[in-house]
Amino acid sequence: MTPEAIHGALQQRFGQAVTAFEADAIDPTVTVEASAIHDVGAFLRSEPGLLFDSLMCLSGMDYGEETSSLGVVYHLHSTSLRHTITLRVEVPRQDGVVPTVCDIWRTAEWHEREAFDLFGMRFDRHPDHRRILLPDDWEGHPLLKDYQVQEFYQGIRVPYEGDPPEIGMDVYRFQDREDPV
Amino acid sequence: MLQYFRNIWEGFWTPLVGLSLTWRKLFTPAVTMQYPEERWELPINSRMQLFVNMDDCIGCLQCERVCPVQCISIDTVKAVPGEVEEATTGHKKRLHVTKFDIDMVKCCYCDLCTFPCPTECIYMTPSFEDSSPDRYGLVYHFVNMTPQHAAELEEKARQFDEAEAAKKSAKAAEASATATA
Amino acid sequence: MCAMARQTAGDELGISYERQGDDLVLQMGPQHPSTHGVLRLEIVTDGELVKHITPHLGYLHRCFEKHAEAMTYPQVIPYADRMDYLSAMNQELAYVLAVEKLMGLKAFPDRLEYIRVLMAELQRIASHLLAIGTYGLDIGAMTPFFWCFRDREKILDLFEWVSGARLLYNYLWVGGVAHDLPAGYTDRVMEFVAYFEPRVQELNSLLSSNKIFIERVASIGILTAEDAISYGIGGPNLRGSGVKWDLRKEEPYGIYERFDFDVPVGTGEFGVLGSAWDRYIVRVREMLESLKIIRQVVDQMPGGDPNEAMPRRIRPAKGEAYLRTESPRGELGFYLVSDGTEKPFRCKARSPCFTAISALNAMNHGGLLIADAVAVVGSLDIVLGEIDR
Repeated sequence: MTPEAIHGALQQRFGQAVTAFEADAIDPTVTVEASAIHDVGAFLRSEPGLLFDSLMCLSGMDYGEETSSLGVVYHLHSTSLRHTITLRVEVPRQDGVVPTVCDIWRTAEWHEREAFDLFGMRFDRHPDHRRILLPDDWEGHPLLKDYQVQEFYQGIRVPYEGDPPEIGMDVYRFQDREDPV
Repeated sequence: MLQYFRNIWEGFWTPLVGLSLTWRKLFTPAVTMQYPEERWELPINSRMQLFVNMDDCIGCLQCERVCPVQCISIDTVKAVPGEVEEATTGHKKRLHVTKFDIDMVKCCYCDLCTFPCPTECIYMTPSFEDSSPDRYGLVYHFVNMTPQHAAELEEKARQFDEAEAAKKSAKAAEASATATA
Repeated sequence: MCAMARQTAGDELGISYERQGDDLVLQMGPQHPSTHGVLRLEIVTDGELVKHITPHLGYLHRCFEKHAEAMTYPQVIPYADRMDYLSAMNQELAYVLAVEKLMGLKAFPDRLEYIRVLMAELQRIASHLLAIGTYGLDIGAMTPFFWCFRDREKILDLFEWVSGARLLYNYLWVGGVAHDLPAGYTDRVMEFVAYFEPRVQELNSLLSSNKIFIERVASIGILTAEDAISYGIGGPNLRGSGVKWDLRKEEPYGIYERFDFDVPVGTGEFGVLGSAWDRYIVRVREMLESLKIIRQVVDQMPGGDPNEAMPRRIRPAKGEAYLRTESPRGELGFYLVSDGTEKPFRCKARSPCFTAISALNAMNHGGLLIADAVAVVGSLDIVLGEIDR
């Protein structure tokens, strides 16, 4: 099925929830309402003629401070019908909530945890909603464009402030280096 | 029952096949080397320690800019016209390089710095056996310039700039004077 | 289930050894020889049986994605190398192809494409050799480990000759390579191929057909095909479950459609389909297929300058692209978003090991022993550098 046909099927089924379609993009992308993503996913997964049984990649996105929205991008592929589509949802920067799709594609479970860990949007009804790459008690979500690193983590200074004072350096300072070739 | 005895037989026989192989390997020459005494030949473009041929460096900062880990730090001072030398490649050395430090502890040996160099004065050498008791021992200083000397050069450049500026303003004043006259 | 296990464990940070009822929570790792890196497995056990495994990641997190946003496109390549340091060429290839897709570059000299395939396949053999060797070591077979490393050294020598480095190459660039192949390189490659083919047979008689090894691994860690697809697992782990799926065949990137090779799949000839042994033997057979590809590459290697079409400035137009390739560990994808500057706006790496380790619980159908957990983790061939990024 062509991306246009997939978009048509989605629009027919969900109407207003499908907000935009970029047909000219390198990977044709359908933008849907965040609240509808679970239903859209279930539809794409089970509808005969679509059968998207594999979620290739789920990425969090930060579209920058000026747009003030975060996003989640789903790259879907059907192993039986060999077609591909990209879905995108956008949520507000503060307290964004996306319904989880991990009951549809199991691989989403960890990818959603990763997106939460690095961007901070919540995934509704996720069975194990924890940080995955960073420690549980880390503050902030590092891949945000306006991320400020915390001052201390468990008593350890976090920001890098250049090299410590140069102690014992004079010994090596003006040694003559020869070309070893 | 037959399967049972066959399993026992295979349990004995298949390890024996492997053992006979291992036994045969006992009589083949070893592939290991007695490293400090024996050495293997390194290819010509081996990427080990960096070296800078300061006679050719024109202080263009291209290597510093392309380094993905910022391990090169260079300071330059403008050379006054009488002091401009030529590199062996014919490039004019319009800048005095007062500092050229490479921190080999940070270096990731990616070889990116050697490609943009216009005079090919920075390159990776096949010498890999440099070690140091502390982190600063692997900060290589390729310029042996005392801070006093650097300050002198800077002063000279400043004076030259001032003289140029004075000359220019005088000329401008003269031009405006002739214009009004 | 997981929340329950954590509650059983008691502690806020989940680090404790506590008994409650019949359950005992064991911490395997972070410093454990069989986790192939710094991975902590929280194993809830009932006697000798494993009830639930919770992997805890992040001990090797180096912020690849955050770093990439501060680098220009070519500067990310050394960082991509360091993601999966055991198959750096494949990482570079995936990243470079993604950038090229983003820039819309297509026409490259044939020689460049052939060099890329040659490097990717050599690296695949090297990576599988390490996977097989260390898997034997996990189970207790020590000799194959040394033999595999001996053969892997020869491939690393080849890489060192062409790129100058043994492990982290920074060799494949956007639209080009760092250096052209040195004179006589393909002859050395053919020497290696001739040397290596009998070594695979040796390895088979030493380990693959060893009855003790087969009995140990042929009926544990069973991953069904449905689970594998749903968990997004690719590569040898998916093919071990009997799914004939290889991105080199299904979505040929580069010039893979020009080569003739088979896709070995697990058949469950000893024990159950999708077991640890099936995943192991798929890797062994894949090495032979890679040798087949290398032979064809060397036969057809064209002349010319591989860097003819190298773009001078890498500044993709605004847009986003996702590209996936077949790395030795599975489906490796890069999702790149450009805002029209020289630095990526977003660079997401979709790592194959990340999904593989997430399926750990799906491989426990009851009856998995604590000692088997080691054998199952080993059979997945994970690299923590890629999981944590």
